[in-house]
Amino acid sequence: MTKLRLPHLDWPLALAVFGLVTIGMLTVYSATSIPGAHQGLWMKQLAWCFLAFGAAWVVAAIHYRLYDSLSWPLYAVSLLLLVAVLVVGTSKMGAKRWIEIGPLQFQPSEIAKIATTFVLARFFDHAKLDLTKVRWWLPPLLIALVPFALVAKEPDLGTGLSFPVMLVAMYFWAGMPLGRLLLGLSPVFNVALFFLTGSIWWFVALFTGLLAFARPKVTLLVGILAINAAVAVALPHMWNQLHDYQRRRIETFLNPDHDPYGAGYQIIQSKIAIGSGGVTGKGYLKGSQKALSFLPMRHTDFIYSVVGEEGGFLGALTVVILYGVVVLRGYRLAAVARDGFASLVAVGVVTALFFHIMVNMLMTVGWAPVTGVPLPFLSYGGTALIVNCVQIGLLQNVALRRREY
Amino acid sequence: MPPGPPRRIRDERFSVLAGVALAGFLLVVLGLLRLQVVQREELSRLAEQNRIRLDVLRAPRGAIRDRHGRLLADNQPSFDIVFRPMPAESLSRSRTLIPTDWLLRISSLVQDDTTVIKRRVQEANRTGQTAVLRRNAPYSVMAAVEEMRADLSGVDVQVAPIRRYPEGTLGAQLLGYAGEINDVELEKRADAGYRMGDLIGKTGVERRYEEMLRGRDGAEFVVVNAMGKRVSTLSEGPPRPPIPGHDVTLTIDLDIQRALEEGMAGVEHGAAVVMDPRDGSVLAMVSKPVYDPNEFSRGITYARWRELIASGNPLLNRAIQSAYPPGSTFKIVTMLAGLRNELVKADTHLPTSCSGGYFFGGRRFGCWDKRGHGSLNLLGALQFSCDVYFYQLGLKLGLDRLQAVARAVGLGEKTGIDLPGETRGLVPTKEWYERRYKGGMPRGALLNLGIGQGELLCSPLQLALMTSVAANGGRAVRPHVVMKVQGVPEFRIEKPTEPGLDTSPENWTAVHDAMKLVVDAGTATVVRMPGIGVAGKTGTAQNPHGNDHALFVCYAPTDVPTIAIAVVAENSGHGGSVCGPIAAHVLRRVLLGDSLATAPPKRAAKRDSTRAVAADTLEVAGD
Repeated sequence: MTKLRLPHLDWPLALAVFGLVTIGMLTVYSATSIPGAHQGLWMKQLAWCFLAFGAAWVVAAIHYRLYDSLSWPLYAVSLLLLVAVLVVGTSKMGAKRWIEIGPLQFQPSEIAKIATTFVLARFFDHAKLDLTKVRWWLPPLLIALVPFALVAKEPDLGTGLSFPVMLVAMYFWAGMPLGRLLLGLSPVFNVALFFLTGSIWWFVALFTGLLAFARPKVTLLVGILAINAAVAVALPHMWNQLHDYQRRRIETFLNPDHDPYGAGYQIIQSKIAIGSGGVTGKGYLKGSQKALSFLPMRHTDFIYSVVGEEGGFLGALTVVILYGVVVLRGYRLAAVARDGFASLVAVGVVTALFFHIMVNMLMTVGWAPVTGVPLPFLSYGGTALIVNCVQIGLLQNVALRRREY
Repeated sequence: MPPGPPRRIRDERFSVLAGVALAGFLLVVLGLLRLQVVQREELSRLAEQNRIRLDVLRAPRGAIRDRHGRLLADNQPSFDIVFRPMPAESLSRSRTLIPTDWLLRISSLVQDDTTVIKRRVQEANRTGQTAVLRRNAPYSVMAAVEEMRADLSGVDVQVAPIRRYPEGTLGAQLLGYAGEINDVELEKRADAGYRMGDLIGKTGVERRYEEMLRGRDGAEFVVVNAMGKRVSTLSEGPPRPPIPGHDVTLTIDLDIQRALEEGMAGVEHGAAVVMDPRDGSVLAMVSKPVYDPNEFSRGITYARWRELIASGNPLLNRAIQSAYPPGSTFKIVTMLAGLRNELVKADTHLPTSCSGGYFFGGRRFGCWDKRGHGSLNLLGALQFSCDVYFYQLGLKLGLDRLQAVARAVGLGEKTGIDLPGETRGLVPTKEWYERRYKGGMPRGALLNLGIGQGELLCSPLQLALMTSVAANGGRAVRPHVVMKVQGVPEFRIEKPTEPGLDTSPENWTAVHDAMKLVVDAGTATVVRMPGIGVAGKTGTAQNPHGNDHALFVCYAPTDVPTIAIAVVAENSGHGGSVCGPIAAHVLRRVLLGDSLATAPPKRAAKRDSTRAVAADTLEVAGD
């Protein structure tokens, strides 16, 4: 244990997080102030808050070398927990995401996210790492895709996707050339563009541009082309083979909020709440739309719509700026840290946070599907708050020791 | 990262990541600007005076048809009295409080309990979704609601499809019925997108093929004014059209079903199954007494439901859910087992000839014919259903060999028919006896098993399956009622659950000949058809709770069997004389094309005990 020396903390990061948690507390209070089942939840959230700060403190105090050396066992345990949750997990809203131990409930996917970051960082921090070679690509892919598949099966696609997203950022940070990285991602673009546009020609154009930019070796080019060709041939064929009740299942999988019209309804209510807030907002505790019980998740997943209604554009912008500070300070820490492991952990942690922020905020403004991902630091919920603060603790850990090798 | 990549490269990479992050945040800001600046007025108006409501566009449930496409179930419009949640301002005030006088007026209008209405209204207010207060309201109620609508805020009339069964009671238990989803089902199926007020298959084909039959409701956002009246549709979300459910085609043949219903008209309690032995498809299935499923789709009161259950429980599909002692029809199995294990041949006489009874272990086991049959060979024993012969054969066989053959022809296990709630029946094994009796199987049990008495229990469907397997010369089939599902070409009938029975052709010839003798010159001469060979077996099962159950199984034509029938009539005496004419009626219709064949004379079914039904129901409950 190192004695904490306050001046070494990253103060802008700490203050931004403190600001976000404060706004979160106030908003949870406002969102649950109307009579109903959730009244008084803010007190519970306050208790979680102290616990979360304590956890962050402990995580920051332990030297990251210990995390480095424990990364594989941690990863193994988290995978076991992910399998366990599929077997004995508690169902909520049709998804098995929780494990209950006595009065405690936690989501193994959150632990897996951190453990996977450690393992990936440890792997990429290898002395002989050469990401221009294919055999160095594959192990990290496997490391990230196993927890992704397990979490996606719960189903929790929103959280699950943070694994591959984190992986991509860490590939890049560990030195994979951007062109190669995009080329490697091309099957994903392929699938996405096919679903969005219904034709493969958009992808062909994009791919040609990519080739001109990356100029890969012949063997690599052939490999990538083969994968893309396989995807392009198999996908429409597979989709057409499916019958509408099977497609229905896939759609349900992509949108775990099973109620077919519930999701669209929430988004419209969210948009009305935010839009009616205007530039300056209706004032704290004065939102009329949040009073609608039509927004059933107003204190959790849709808390940002309450911020937008009561705080208006200015309030919502403040939150965006605070998140901006957190993310940019986080990436900056990764850039200045001298130790490879620490730097990579910082990138992984910040990317996972950023991804969750984006998925939630774009959902509340109606530009992303409803996936049931809470907003970091703001949404009501103990596990998420603790995990997010632990992530900040890890960043502060890196900040404290940024000059060490 | 290899230690110490140059500072410049790190900075470059930082700029890329920072650029991506900034672009993301910029997108959020643009989204905020669009809502809070560009669309502000429109959204504020929606927030303040008008409300968005989600109107569900009900998807029609798939139709059910017979094998020739004739309609057995479809949909008709029902006029429902619904409650639409009130706009936000009034909602936040009345959230916890529903005015008592309002509640009283509504409940007297729709004639339902105030607590029920209150619960539904609260649920609607909580979720913002429409609640159904009265399904399929008669015209008078509708008119009253229309008249008072101005005073009853939130109450409206809505058209929704309900189930219609054009043939009424025909095949009622087989088709099942679809009704409003209840709380337990809703809880269990919340993941599948069910909502309050949805139709769901409760029994029979409606339940088993729920996933196929059920459509997918559409939805439409509409703007409503403070009175809850629709002002316009919302440009925001285009309406999502409802997707109808898949039509299901049954293997049932309406003509054969009608013939069987006519034949069974005189049976008070019982069941019958007609099967195509070539593939196990069920051509007709009747369970008595019957009910009208239309009553259920219109919504049934608790009192009426109690009344139905008390009158012999017509909801029970006795063809698959009740188990009866097979009686002498089981002698087919005993005969097969004896032949297969080479204990007897077609012309074998057993040591003790029939003098009307058989002594074993100091006890006399009687033959049904007290005058005795004399010395018979195996064929003759089946032809005249001689108990004494089969007592001896049962003893020779032993439990293991007998029960193995019984299972091979489909008894003692679920047949795997695509209907819910099938009974397994009972074919006792050694382990079963050890659990049941101290010291294992009691002496004499084998004698009873040999003639189909004792602990044996079979559903009428199992008996039809047994007859089909026998007609096929041992080839197993999978009983099923659905032939195809429209729009699901990969729908397949599953493989049989049992492997069937493998034994020599001579043995099959012996069984077939014996069964034909039963009809030509044995206990079931009433079933003889001009010019067409019929093979069958009668049965009379002793019933400890009342009069004997009558049973009859048969298949025809004997050269290339295309139809197998099993009939069970509770508490009505001898199988040949009660159930034979029913099978004969069906055979005349199907094989002779005699559409003018008259129904067998109605017999006043003797019925002196209601406990018999209770016993059968227990069997199902244990399954």
